[in-house]
Amino acid sequence: MFRRVQLAACLVLFACSSVHAQRQQVIGAPPEASNMKLVGYNDLQARSAYQPTIHHQGDRWIAYIGHHGGTEDVPSPVNPLTGQAEPNGTSIVDVTDPAHPKYLRHLPGQEGKYESGGAQMVRVCDGKSLPKGDANAVYLLRTFGSEAHEIWNVADPANPVLITRIGGLKDTHKSWWECDTGIAYLVSGAPDWRTRRMTQVYDLGDPAHPQKIRDFGLPGQEPGATGAVPTELHGPISTGPTGNRIYFGYGTNKGGILQIVDREKLLSGPKEPTADNLRYPEISRLPMSAFNGAHTTFPMLDMPVAEFGEDKDGRMRDIVMIVDEAILNECGEARQMVWFADVTTETRPMMISSYTVPEASGQFCQRGGRFGSHSSNESMAPVYYKKMAFIAFFNAGVRALDIRDPYHPKEVGYFIPAITQATDKRCIPVEGGERCKVAIQTNNVETDDRGYIYIVDRANTGLHILELTGPARAVAGLPKN
Amino acid sequence: MRRAATIVAAAIGFGASSVGAYQLALAPVETSAHWREIAWPFPRDGWPAGRAFRCDGACAGTELYVRAKLGFCNCDRGVADDDEVDRVADLDLISPRFVATAPGEAVRVGELHGRGRHYGLDMLDGARHAAIGIALSRRCDLLVAVAQNAGEAMAARSAALEFLETPEMKRWMIAALDGR
Repeated sequence: MFRRVQLAACLVLFACSSVHAQRQQVIGAPPEASNMKLVGYNDLQARSAYQPTIHHQGDRWIAYIGHHGGTEDVPSPVNPLTGQAEPNGTSIVDVTDPAHPKYLRHLPGQEGKYESGGAQMVRVCDGKSLPKGDANAVYLLRTFGSEAHEIWNVADPANPVLITRIGGLKDTHKSWWECDTGIAYLVSGAPDWRTRRMTQVYDLGDPAHPQKIRDFGLPGQEPGATGAVPTELHGPISTGPTGNRIYFGYGTNKGGILQIVDREKLLSGPKEPTADNLRYPEISRLPMSAFNGAHTTFPMLDMPVAEFGEDKDGRMRDIVMIVDEAILNECGEARQMVWFADVTTETRPMMISSYTVPEASGQFCQRGGRFGSHSSNESMAPVYYKKMAFIAFFNAGVRALDIRDPYHPKEVGYFIPAITQATDKRCIPVEGGERCKVAIQTNNVETDDRGYIYIVDRANTGLHILELTGPARAVAGLPKN
Repeated sequence: MRRAATIVAAAIGFGASSVGAYQLALAPVETSAHWREIAWPFPRDGWPAGRAFRCDGACAGTELYVRAKLGFCNCDRGVADDDEVDRVADLDLISPRFVATAPGEAVRVGELHGRGRHYGLDMLDGARHAAIGIALSRRCDLLVAVAQNAGEAMAARSAALEFLETPEMKRWMIAALDGR
């Protein structure tokens, strides 16, 4: 009898360990997917990736991908095109044929490891859309590690030419550039400010001659202030002169704030960085839980909500999707996820819904690396805007959400890439050392006007180009494939 | 039967040792240095509570609050400057109105390096307190401490640093940074 009990217990233990083994990613195993499929792939020279921006350039589609600095093991990977070891910078990839992406050029960034080097951020504007740009030029705005912002002419994407540099900074991050006005909101660390990241507003309408407009941040961050220092900036998104609003996200995985700012007041108001002048353009703030930060604040204004269609008022809603960033491996923090705020009454913004990947659906806390959200696509092209959102969720890959009813977002697809030999380990401290696992770390996602979805990996696995399949296509109104 | 009993006993033993280790990690530090552990006095915020102590000896009236803040972007640069100390050292838990009274300086506690800085705090009751804020880093994680009293900052500083250097506190700080 007892032998049978022992045998049963052993079988249960074996079954449990098998489940765990199955959940741990292994090289050679296929990707995990639902209603999304792989179209093309590039290894990005095994560089840790941050922001992808996909630009329609003449008859070509070019992906510009920012990178973090190198790793302890490989601070400067070798660029096979040059044979040289180069600090991580910007990858330039021709994705005209998404099934066969062609790596054109690696533009080296600042030396340094992880967040201390590389060139994480990229935005791209055509010269012909900027007020004083060269009509033949295509301008790439990128960060250069923590010390500068740079503008390159990438009209010939294989041979970029440096145009200008805004340096002397102590940090940089997720900037925004209005391609119709040239106004740029550069996430910077001005040396005299009390925070690592704030906003420097520039007129880059003539990229060769940047004009500083002002510095901006939360009162308490400015030079000479005393007392508590508010949460640092992560990044803004502007609706331009038409919408006249800028949505600033502060925080990473703690103490997040959504700040709604009147763009015109920001640009034309008093510029001296005093507490009163910093308050002047602010319309309202939505403070989040101390457990969550705001990496991305993506506005979706004038959204018709079908459920409210028969109501006399409030049929259209202004929504901001807020994406937190997970930063600790193996669930070492509160869950970082996606929030939807109704900002229709601007002075009383309110959280209305949230979304997270169910942990148990993949035992993601045991897989290794980060689990939680990081960022969303930021393209406002009609193919997906206000219909679907794509969320980079680290070891849970990319998640496709139906957001047509933002009060009830629902997942309609996902894709978790397979790991490769290049996928870097992620470690946690244990007594007397550390324990490491290897897992995909989908860090950022962007879409193009054709409907392709581009995801990039923080753990050096590269770029995966995806498309929707099955019922997920119907959500976006795409034809069946 | 004996095997089953052995397994059960081993499981209980393992569980008990785990509980023992947990209690050991959280056990009050010896009070021979005149520091007495008190309850963490602040409401919940983004980081889990740490440990709080009150000095009953030569530094009577001084309170010290210590905790780990796991996840910090300056993995390579560590605590880069005095602004970093202003931002992270938990002074705002005591009072949001604080002013640095001197430039900071490098601080080392065991294997941890960082910076410490003196502050004046305006308390809600109108009193003026002195404080020392300390931020130490290990790779991507922080260990922060703030000591405050109604008197003189130097007394709080030396007493707090001496206490943080005790083997018990150094062990606890490393365990906290390990997430244990």
